[in-house]
Amino acid sequence: MVLLENDSFLTELTRLFQKCRTTGTVYITLKKYDGRTKPVPRKGNPETFEPVDNKCLIRATDGKKKISTVVSTKEVIKFQMAYSNLLRAHMDGLKKKDKKSKSKKTKATQTVEKPSVHLSPVANTPSVGWALHVAAGTSSVDTRGLEVAKGLFQQDTLHTGRARIFI
Amino acid sequence: MPHYQSWEEFSRAAEKLYLTDPMKVRVVLKYRHCDGNLSMKVTDDAVCLQYKTDQAQDVKKIEKLQGKLMRFMVSKETHSMTMETD
Repeated sequence: MVLLENDSFLTELTRLFQKCRTTGTVYITLKKYDGRTKPVPRKGNPETFEPVDNKCLIRATDGKKKISTVVSTKEVIKFQMAYSNLLRAHMDGLKKKDKKSKSKKTKATQTVEKPSVHLSPVANTPSVGWALHVAAGTSSVDTRGLEVAKGLFQQDTLHTGRARIFI
Repeated sequence: MPHYQSWEEFSRAAEKLYLTDPMKVRVVLKYRHCDGNLSMKVTDDAVCLQYKTDQAQDVKKIEKLQGKLMRFMVSKETHSMTMETD
């Protein structure tokens, strides 16, 4: 196990990621570290060891090569930023979710078609009438939805999209 | 040894487990570029919480949680430590 300085560790970690791009796994382990350098004694002399509270151990391996580093409070801000950038830059082989965002976009751009309305006099009726032609793309518009004066509105056959207004 | 489907639940359980015994808990990250998946494990050797993903959007979440736990590890431990909620 190679114990490195924070910067060297990050460089070596980059190398590990690059090496494992075509095959293999990168394992990273994070653990709180109390600074002990000697193994815990089974019994006998009481530990004259003062544990520190502000360190953590970072290990990385590809199954063959092992590297590690110790990070303390003073270095954590700088290390964590560099570490985050490194992870984000190298862990880019994962699936991106475009499907959801694409369908959302198409829904927003859909606009309601404005129906075209034409009012024209109809000559072949007993009384003077007006034909109200309503066309809205491929769908027929319900003439009841239009704002026309009540009582003066009379529907024609709806599927032709024509309506007669008697004034 | 639960495998979490929801990131929210995993994140909360991981923080809770860490706070019960910081010295015992370790965090393991496993990345396979050739298979395009990423997995995170938080364990104290009794309880093991795992989260697996193949989505690019989870990389940022995982990396943020790692940073948070790292900061917890290097800070002076106090029982009244407040947990930041994302």
